[in-house]
Amino acid sequence: MTYLKGRAHQKANLGCLTTDARMPFLAHGSHRIRYEISGPETGPAYVLVNGLTQYSELWAAYRDTLVKRKFGIVTFDLLGQGESDKPTLFIGQDDHVAVLRLLIDKLGDRPVFLAGISFGGIIALRYAIEHGDRLAGLVPMSTFSELPPQLALLGNAMRTGLILGGTGYLQDMLLPMNLSDAWLAPLMDKLDSVKRQGWLVNDVYALQNLMESFLDFKPLTPRLHEIRVPTMILNGEFDFLTPRTLHETLRAHIPDSALVIIPRAYHAFTLEKAALTADLLARFASEVLEKRWSGGGAVRIAPEEAGGEITPFPAEFDHLRAIPARKASS
Amino acid sequence: MTSFLGPLDQAGRVPPLQQTRVAAFLISAHGALARRLAFALPGQMKVGWQTEINAQFYREAETVSLLMRATSWNPDPELLLLVPSWEVAWLPKPRTDLADATMAFMIDTAALGHAVHAAIRPAALLPDEASPEDPFAMALRRIEFESGRLMQAQIMLLKGPDLLPFRDAVNAAVEQRHLEVRELWDTMLRGIGVERAAKA
Repeated sequence: MTYLKGRAHQKANLGCLTTDARMPFLAHGSHRIRYEISGPETGPAYVLVNGLTQYSELWAAYRDTLVKRKFGIVTFDLLGQGESDKPTLFIGQDDHVAVLRLLIDKLGDRPVFLAGISFGGIIALRYAIEHGDRLAGLVPMSTFSELPPQLALLGNAMRTGLILGGTGYLQDMLLPMNLSDAWLAPLMDKLDSVKRQGWLVNDVYALQNLMESFLDFKPLTPRLHEIRVPTMILNGEFDFLTPRTLHETLRAHIPDSALVIIPRAYHAFTLEKAALTADLLARFASEVLEKRWSGGGAVRIAPEEAGGEITPFPAEFDHLRAIPARKASS
Repeated sequence: MTSFLGPLDQAGRVPPLQQTRVAAFLISAHGALARRLAFALPGQMKVGWQTEINAQFYREAETVSLLMRATSWNPDPELLLLVPSWEVAWLPKPRTDLADATMAFMIDTAALGHAVHAAIRPAALLPDEASPEDPFAMALRRIEFESGRLMQAQIMLLKGPDLLPFRDAVNAAVEQRHLEVRELWDTMLRGIGVERAAKA
């Protein structure tokens, strides 16, 4: 089923992993998936799943941080993204899960931690539901298990925006929604070059196919209880695209989970706060491997900077509110 | 080889030979689509989406006319061989595994339209330094932008309920047309020193 192809293949034995990044391709049916494995040959590995308009290079900072902390790192372009093949008309959610399965199978019996952002978070959730026995831990980030009206309407508006205005317009919508003023301000006169690489590697029809692969989205909430692996749910404090309530659904239904709120962060905190997020990923995996992890449905607050203390959300307050409202007594 | 057009002149313009070759290719492809749509229009007077076909016909004609005006043309003898090979590629190739010949023709027309609008991204060939005021650069940007909208008619038809029972045949037709169009586009670009897959 799988074959390897690509520039790196000519000089690399891809059966084993080395400290150098590899850029081979994996086959899913007739389609090629570009992936990259970095880091130690053995031991735990993180598999990182892209959001809709991402491409695997955007995880570069994670690669550097996590490899230093002895994790293998697997990144890839989803079917329809970046350097992976772009099916002309039809992509299904099942295809994404199948690709993830092929990729994780390549890691043999290493402990695998799976993290996905937004669109990629859904794929990670589905994988954990269907193949959770292969995972050591799960990190859904800025994601959701069902489509409430606000998100469904926003999704439709984005699709329409893509159709009428192209990738550039979609980027114009997403940048201010997903990133903070602090991140955007110094880049205001360079936004075109910030957007250019994403515009170059993403084709309108392929993005549209990716979006449409979620039109028949079946809510995952009824199956979340099947996820038995330790799960750290990450949600930006100011994420209004996928707000707290959507992550609360994950926390409430995934048995061994904890919700960690990233201060002052928006939907795309993996991009904006890469050092902090990579640190949280490494700490979570270490706690799981050393059997120190306890989800217990906790709600926690991440530190402002990497290495800081993770604190419990004050028990008397309601973490679903934006103002310090006390919890309703049950 | 680079993945962008150039080297640009001092005013940030694409070299005339590259302009000529790219424009000739696009005129050939979009002109073929316009001809196909012109044939299809009279037969679709009663269907609702004749609105789309009518709009597409005029958009394709606009693309041809725009390139005729905006291109800095340069004598290019190779076009004597290249243009006929492109024109042959755009000829109808209805799938033979579909019993309904009209439907097969319609699918092929839509598949070609999807491939031309989706697989060809002329604006992505422009280097960062290309002059935003250059007519040729502006034409490429407009063609790519309009292509994103134009292919919606093809997507609606190809993914629509009428063709759902023929999903495999439709998918195969579109994949095949994409393959052909990409190959011709890439070959043409290599002829002017541009390797689309190469890194900048």
